[in-house]
Amino acid sequence: MSQDGGLGAAIIAARPAVVAALAARFRDLDIAEDGFADACELAMRHFADTPRPANLAGWLHVAARRRIIDRLRRDARHARLIAESSAEPESEDMAVISLFDEQIADERLRLIFICCHPAIAPDARAALTLRVVCGVPTDRIAAAFLMQAPAMFQRLTRAKAKIREAQVPFEMPPPHLWGERMAAVLATLEIGYALAYQDAGGSEPTADLGPEVLRLAAMLADLLPRDPEVLGLAALVRLGEARRSARVDGEGRMVPLSEQDCTEWDGGLIASATALMQRAAQIGRSGPYQLMAAIHLTHARRRHEGRTDWHAVLRLYDLLLAVRPGAVVAINRALALARVEGAQAGLVALGALNDGVLERYRPWHAAHAHLLALTGDRAGAAAAFRAALALNPARAERLYLEARLAETSA
Amino acid sequence: MQYMLMIHEDESVYAGPDGGAIMKATLDKHIALAEALVAAGISYSGERLKAAATATTIRWDHGSHHLHDGAYSESHEELGGYYLITVDNLDQALEWAKRIPIPGKGAVEVRPVWDMSDYA
Repeated sequence: MSQDGGLGAAIIAARPAVVAALAARFRDLDIAEDGFADACELAMRHFADTPRPANLAGWLHVAARRRIIDRLRRDARHARLIAESSAEPESEDMAVISLFDEQIADERLRLIFICCHPAIAPDARAALTLRVVCGVPTDRIAAAFLMQAPAMFQRLTRAKAKIREAQVPFEMPPPHLWGERMAAVLATLEIGYALAYQDAGGSEPTADLGPEVLRLAAMLADLLPRDPEVLGLAALVRLGEARRSARVDGEGRMVPLSEQDCTEWDGGLIASATALMQRAAQIGRSGPYQLMAAIHLTHARRRHEGRTDWHAVLRLYDLLLAVRPGAVVAINRALALARVEGAQAGLVALGALNDGVLERYRPWHAAHAHLLALTGDRAGAAAAFRAALALNPARAERLYLEARLAETSA
Repeated sequence: MQYMLMIHEDESVYAGPDGGAIMKATLDKHIALAEALVAAGISYSGERLKAAATATTIRWDHGSHHLHDGAYSESHEELGGYYLITVDNLDQALEWAKRIPIPGKGAVEVRPVWDMSDYA
């Protein structure tokens, strides 16, 4: 039975490469996924009490391919695919497969490019990538997107149908399309990252995605080691994951980054993120993901230096704001400015942002409340904390805001 | 696979003082695009439509209908023409679609065409 858990993990690890190879060969995501599922079932049965082969991915690939071809042979519409597979033997005892140590061509990037095609809506792309590449069950993806499972199932079905019906190519995109396509891949991964970290308290369904997104980002960094933004995003995901256990206290209350106990941060993840950032810097092409990672890395340095270099954080936010303007970045910049020039300066910067739309934006009220409290305006701070609380915070953040409100009212 | 590239554009850019010049420049680009399609050996067809003001729409509601003057779309970007091209996949269709000149605001919708031979 101990073998079982190991086998499950080995199957999960093998999945991206095997599904990618099958998708590249059969040009259909459903065929690839179903074939892989069949092969997993076989493997679970076959290796229940015999040791599994060293090259499990190769075994799964051959087993899946044969199952698929068997099925296609029964379906005359797939004449072309069968003709290409005429050399394939009829299905046989799966034990024989173990004798071939077949290396599969690495088609993972091709699969990621298909799932992240810009012709598919960004949310659907993220869901599809988590489903097809990482094999995350549909109900878990639905929970992370705060959707009902049937609605998510439909979204995934629609995305796959679009790929099939509009004929999204299964070939690698030509070099001149890479810029646009990489932007779509990175945006997809960023949605995954945001999903995994949206709730500090880690209400199970979303927190669950953290390791998947980490694996996906690492895979991409592995496949595209010369793209500094890919490395930056992989570092960013690691730095976020490194802080997971410090993000809430014993009562499930959110702990803001600057108050987290940095001895609880995962030093291994921070070290590997630092290495990724150094490699990215050597390539010498900056971008928003590297800047975001650099901000998180500056915070992570508190672990060794005992203090946060807020001047550096502010400079990085200024750069980020220039390449990627947005409310979240601007609010965080105002908070960093308050650290450098005082709460009043932060309040002025924050006030300048509010165009009315931010009235309904919780992070704006939370930042406003925090800075008002620092200037000693307790009544103003309390009102702003109440405004933030009225905007549906997740449990961990609600507990934090309630505690801050109690302080200001005390 | 066949794709229809539907050109929706804001006709008003052709109405201003420079309208004539913009129209000529746009038409030249369409001719260049058609030549590029021929040079690439891509089978295609396409037409330019007259102004949306010349359109008549038959609107149906569960069996009853009425006619109205004007285009179906309520937006300012009207269907002004289309190309029908035969290429291998969506990426190729999108690449050609991006080369369609749109002088002002507009959009090009790319739609795969049903292959009736699937029903043979």
